[in-house]
Amino acid sequence: MSEKKVSIKDLLGLSDEEMRKPLPNPTPWSRPFWEAAKQHRLVLRRCSACGNIDHPPYPYCTACLADEHEWIEAQGKGTLYAYAVNYYGVPFPFWDDMPYVVAMIDLPEGPRMISNIVECDIEKLRNGMELEVVFDDVSDEISLPKWKPV
Amino acid sequence: MERGEFAIIGTGEVPCGHFPERSEFEIAYTVAREAIRDAGIDVKEIGAVVCAQHIMSNPANDYNTEAVFGRLPEAIGARGCKITCMTSSGGASSFSLRKTAEGILHSGETDTVLVVHAQRFSQFTPNEQAKYFSVAGSDVEWEVPYGMTYNSLAAMVTQAYMTHTGTTIEQIAAVCVANRRWAMLQPNAMFNKKEITVDDVLSSRMVSYPLTSLMCNVLADGGSAFIMTTAEKARKVCSKPVYILGEASDYSHRTITRAKKKDLEKLWEFLAPVAKTAFERAGLGPEDMDIYQIYGSYPCIQLIVMDALGMWEPGSTGALVASGATSPGGKYPVTTNGEALSFGHTGTGVGIALLVESVRQLQGKAGKAQVEGARFLIENTGGGAFMDCHFTVLGNEIPG
Repeated sequence: MSEKKVSIKDLLGLSDEEMRKPLPNPTPWSRPFWEAAKQHRLVLRRCSACGNIDHPPYPYCTACLADEHEWIEAQGKGTLYAYAVNYYGVPFPFWDDMPYVVAMIDLPEGPRMISNIVECDIEKLRNGMELEVVFDDVSDEISLPKWKPV
Repeated sequence: MERGEFAIIGTGEVPCGHFPERSEFEIAYTVAREAIRDAGIDVKEIGAVVCAQHIMSNPANDYNTEAVFGRLPEAIGARGCKITCMTSSGGASSFSLRKTAEGILHSGETDTVLVVHAQRFSQFTPNEQAKYFSVAGSDVEWEVPYGMTYNSLAAMVTQAYMTHTGTTIEQIAAVCVANRRWAMLQPNAMFNKKEITVDDVLSSRMVSYPLTSLMCNVLADGGSAFIMTTAEKARKVCSKPVYILGEASDYSHRTITRAKKKDLEKLWEFLAPVAKTAFERAGLGPEDMDIYQIYGSYPCIQLIVMDALGMWEPGSTGALVASGATSPGGKYPVTTNGEALSFGHTGTGVGIALLVESVRQLQGKAGKAQVEGARFLIENTGGGAFMDCHFTVLGNEIPG
């Protein structure tokens, strides 16, 4: 792909608002996840009644409908299940990041997450490769968990 | 539903493509009248009008509000209409609309239902479309902040499928080529002027690796309609009704990471029992089908659905498509209107267009795309982030 020269913002005269990246808007049942992420901790919602881990989380356990739950520390490890590399046709706020990697990451605790793979040459991506979590402080409130090769 | 209890007796369709001057209302009224005339019934026989949701509706003149509030029966002169409503399940809408129509027919309130779809994406800018389709296929809290798009969703499934089955990118591209060949035979298809080759597909711009632009569908303006009735009435008013012989459904997830079948490269294992149930309810098997109307929206998904039919070894369908067997003139006609990739992506209408094409084929009205002597076919649809699947076996006779 050709080297980037000009930001899409300057090229099309876009406003800051049009260039603002969408951020998670935490719900009452997801807020503990994002509060932990802000402290660079990866946590998961585990049902106290049946042990089921829900990610993304919902207000009550999707396996047994119980309310009681705890937030457990994840190991912060994962494996790459599958990936895509975005080269074109993304919303404007992500335009200058292209090419970037969107991937599915399997956690040893069970859940699978969508995230970006960072600090990795695209040519070196392999399904099944081992990853560890890193946190991207994208705003005062939000840090996004992302993944890099171990 | 009893086998063959309901039938489709007429269809309407407008050209698919970029027609910014043609409003969604004009599309709806046009396809409705065409379906009524094609069915050979009087407009006053219509007792219910079921509308598909218009995606990204324009708030200034909102088709969805108008359709929900009964604009269509009034505008098309359906003075015998008793029931009107809007139904949607995204890409799976052809199924949910038909199920709604079946329910209305089953209630006995009327014996004739008109189903209408209309879409005009060209009123929105490419960035508005990109924004909408990034949140439509992805979770706003857990996926969209990472720059995920519909194309990256399909790209990840494709990447997993290729890695685990050995399917090549050339075979993935061959699906686009086959779809284009069928679209070339369709007067209403968006892309029916120029054939494409595997090289064309592979050398087109990389969008979301491994998907190039010709592996991604293009949003379009279009619409279609059909008339559904009881088998009893169908036999009286129509020389070649198309019967619903067997159908089956399953739901998996909203968020792709929570799919019931976690090994997405084996997504056919989620789909296969559904196809099997539809065949069993029809009293037919995959080898009895004259056509396989596969809704994939992306080339790899077409292969995965074919893998699920019990007809071919899972993972081998890429080679089958590359052999030309699914193209016009081939042994196994697949997706005879060219589908989202070549007929055009009209939102909730992709599956409806495929259903309408299925009816045309079984009525012998498919023109240059006609598969000679077609009696039975299987049609599928699904929506969201590959959230569900629905298989339907249709036939122009009820097998003994």
